[in-house]
Amino acid sequence: MKKYITILTLLLIGVVSYGQTTDPLVSNCAINAGANAKYLKDFRVQLGKAANPNELRYKANMSLWKNTKYRFTMCNADDSKGQLILSIKDETNKIVISSFDKNSGKTYPFIDFTCNKSGMYQLNYDFTNGQQGSGVGVVSMVK
Amino acid sequence: MKIKVVFILFVVVAIFSCRNSSSKNNEFVFPELDSIPLSEAEKLSPEAIADISKNISSPVEIANLLQMLEVPFSQNYLATSIDANKQSTSFDKALKLGILGADLGYLNMYERTGNSLDVLSSIRKLADDIKVGQFFDFEAIKRLSQNKSNLDSLLFISIDSYSQIDTYLRENDRGQLSALMIIGVWIEGQYLATQVVSQYPDTMLRDRIGEQKIILNDLLLLISPYCNRDQEFTALCKDLQNIKDVYRDIRITYTQGDPISVEKDGGLIVEQTETSVVEMSKEQLDGIIAIMKDIRNRLILNN
Repeated sequence: MKKYITILTLLLIGVVSYGQTTDPLVSNCAINAGANAKYLKDFRVQLGKAANPNELRYKANMSLWKNTKYRFTMCNADDSKGQLILSIKDETNKIVISSFDKNSGKTYPFIDFTCNKSGMYQLNYDFTNGQQGSGVGVVSMVK
Repeated sequence: MKIKVVFILFVVVAIFSCRNSSSKNNEFVFPELDSIPLSEAEKLSPEAIADISKNISSPVEIANLLQMLEVPFSQNYLATSIDANKQSTSFDKALKLGILGADLGYLNMYERTGNSLDVLSSIRKLADDIKVGQFFDFEAIKRLSQNKSNLDSLLFISIDSYSQIDTYLRENDRGQLSALMIIGVWIEGQYLATQVVSQYPDTMLRDRIGEQKIILNDLLLLISPYCNRDQEFTALCKDLQNIKDVYRDIRITYTQGDPISVEKDGGLIVEQTETSVVEMSKEQLDGIIAIMKDIRNRLILNN
């Protein structure tokens, strides 16, 4: 009978806490984006190994506004094989910023972007070399 | 053994069937008519709706701009007249949840957290009424509000709560309430910006108001599946269409350029040299100020 009580207790805890939890990876990434950074949004990315590592797979649109300085922070889960990278395209499909330098192979954990053209931008996330991984991309405003 | 299994199944079913009920109310609640017929929801893919929901400008961005321009805080801009106890329909509750969410963002950004307790109580009531109170950690927000050194955590937890509500509503066939919440946030943010610009004329703020033309179509897309749902939705769709009409002749043009990047402190610093330019006359701006005031003040009237 003890076994059933334990199962029921676990189920009950699971249901009560449903919807009230935020992944610590997300909250830590958001809160540690910098003393002068104010959280706006986050994108939670979880991907398997890519068939084609040249194309960034996670895509989301976001409106960015002129006269605003944004900080894009990338955080990785401990078990990620690759590092989270970001590339942003404008409405004409032109790459405006990238956190990954293809020539040197260097990745940047954050980008500060001073936006001077309001519009809809496409945020493209993936893990380096199309590897498996999970992570979060946080967007904040910087004063 | 069979009896034990039946007992466990019974308890599990009972627990899960209670999940959408208000945690503090054990009374039977007659279900509200707020689920979308599938045929309507399928007009836009869930991914497209999620994308639009994430697109809409955060009220924190407007408040940040006001702070940057050193516009003083004013309680007069807030929707203090909203009485959460007098909202009778899911439509009213969700829309006002959005409006008050924008006010909460404004209060948080100006660190007027002492003033935010009334707004928080109203948000709690409205969220519980539409069965999404479980996503709002009121006690944590209240605690953080009283400790000004935790502004980062406060902003994160407040915005994240709204994001979770939005996702939950969309994933549980209550997308119309998610759309109302998002539109409420946007209308209040626009009201705030237009009220401030009429008192403190500033080019940056004026441009930000004009640039909202960029996301107006998305807002209309978000609400369009529900425009024939009932009179309240029809009226709101008409209001948004009227706003779009006021924006029709405002032009946004772009200049070309390549971004300038430098490395600093392990990160990348990028300055965009392309620019957007808003072409908007004083009459057009006055038209936006007037229509936003009219619509927002009508929406916050209690039933």
